[in-house]
Amino acid sequence: MKNILIAAALLLPLAAQAADKQLLERGKYLARAADCVACHSVEGGAEYAGGLPLESPFGTIYGTNITPDKQYGIGEYSADDFYRAVAEGERRDGSKLYPAMPYTSYHLLKREDSDAIYAYLMRLEPIAKPSPQTSLSFPFNVRFGLGFWNMLYKNRVQLLPAEGKSETWQRGQYLVEALGHCGECHTPRNALGALQQDQRLQGGVLLGYEAPSLLAEDLAERGWSTDDLATFLKHGISAQGSMFNEMYPVLHHSTQYLPLDDHQAMATYLLGDQPPAPRKVSAVAFEQLDDSAQQGRQHYLNLCAGCHGVAGEGVPHVAVAMDGNTTLRLNEARNLLRVIDDGIKEQQFTGFERMQPMPGFSDKLDDGQMRDLLHYLRQTWGGQNAELSPQQVSQLRSEKGH
Amino acid sequence: MAKRLLSMIINSQAVGPLEVADDLMMIDFLHEYLNLTGSRLGCGQGVCHACVAILDKPDGTSEEVRTCITGAHFFDGKRIRTIEGHAKRDAQGEVSQLNPIQQKFVDQFAFQCSYCTPGYVNAATVLVEKLQRQPVKRSELEGEIEDALGKHICRCTGYVRYYNAARDVVESLGLVKEG
Repeated sequence: MKNILIAAALLLPLAAQAADKQLLERGKYLARAADCVACHSVEGGAEYAGGLPLESPFGTIYGTNITPDKQYGIGEYSADDFYRAVAEGERRDGSKLYPAMPYTSYHLLKREDSDAIYAYLMRLEPIAKPSPQTSLSFPFNVRFGLGFWNMLYKNRVQLLPAEGKSETWQRGQYLVEALGHCGECHTPRNALGALQQDQRLQGGVLLGYEAPSLLAEDLAERGWSTDDLATFLKHGISAQGSMFNEMYPVLHHSTQYLPLDDHQAMATYLLGDQPPAPRKVSAVAFEQLDDSAQQGRQHYLNLCAGCHGVAGEGVPHVAVAMDGNTTLRLNEARNLLRVIDDGIKEQQFTGFERMQPMPGFSDKLDDGQMRDLLHYLRQTWGGQNAELSPQQVSQLRSEKGH
Repeated sequence: MAKRLLSMIINSQAVGPLEVADDLMMIDFLHEYLNLTGSRLGCGQGVCHACVAILDKPDGTSEEVRTCITGAHFFDGKRIRTIEGHAKRDAQGEVSQLNPIQQKFVDQFAFQCSYCTPGYVNAATVLVEKLQRQPVKRSELEGEIEDALGKHICRCTGYVRYYNAARDVVESLGLVKEG
């Protein structure tokens, strides 16, 4: 009996330790799935110590320090306080958080998941670093006004009913809508910056770039299958192209760390249990292009073909293919134009995959040449025959975000 | 593949019109049509910068352009310079005097195998021309050199001597102001 008691006394702490370790592991996984670090860190700074400037039309909001530092971080927060901040957007002192914090999505978080994230964050090294002061224009600079703003727009995410949906779909819904808060960028906002929830996941514009629609029929129209989308989330790259702009850090901070089941679940939720067939677009012959697109071919050969290939086939580990590229298929030419003008920095994906930097060509193409090039790319490989007016092109070029 | 006419000015000499394939890269045009083989094909994908030529723009400024990833027809009607155009030549066409950058690179043993050198000479030339338009403060000189030469890759000598030589050229031409 005595031996049993001793054994139990020894085992109990071990069991508690194992449970604690499990909780921390779960918290770490959930924090990654929720991509907390993206806003609550700056490049080169300590993780979760805050400081990322989030530019909004109303001013700059800074991600706060969420390490357990008692003065500058969340060291004084209880699990209840933390849940209220994450799900309700209320700080410990009762004041409102700026809605850059996606509590519109996080209100769907399960309480035990919030507690796991809290447990993980509280075990981080406390970093005594003050968060920069947020400076917004009136009335957004008054935190009291935010309560009114929230009330006015009631813009919390409401979930679609899960009846009849597969478990994978339901898991994906939680990952996409609650944790991943994908809709914060992929949903349009109104002039006051509020999400237009009646156009949920139908695409938004962020710092000059379009976060494209994630509706199933739109994804299929742009060539996505469930497996390809899951691959894209895991590796940041697929036959449809590579992640760039604001989606690129999402890969690095978040999606690459998730298990394969999660990518499959997210893709299943977005495309549905019965996904629509991805649209195939065959390359259109030169003779069938309009005059402007035919003119554009020479600009393509002069400036693009060296890396993307004369036939748009791309070069592995150098530059993505144009043939089959999802960005060329977007209804709006915005992202295609932005990438051509701004370029893309060298990119590193999972494993040993890399893509070399793409230079920006804003000083190499005048508006007319850009228009011709866009027509060539979109008509040849994008299945997009709509003519862009010169005004549209110059307008889009002026909407540089950074 | 179709051919179209191409003309440009290279090293102050009019070239063309020549019938050239519309998808030919500039480096192949220089090598195969004009026998200007000084521009080096390195990576062939726009990274190493061994292939750069200098594009002289109508506003009087100059810039480097990678000839391995830029089509020959991009240069139609434009003015460019290659490594062959920097030195002075005598009546027989032989090199009689290197330009200050070439001379400094030689004096300071800035290179061994020389594969990357044409690119470095062009980069340093563009830098000198930029500073001739607007001299640089001493405190910003290192940053300017890094911006100008930093994209170029050298695999044998290392970079220190190129950087030192570029700094010396800029100094000796009086393009650095105090501050």
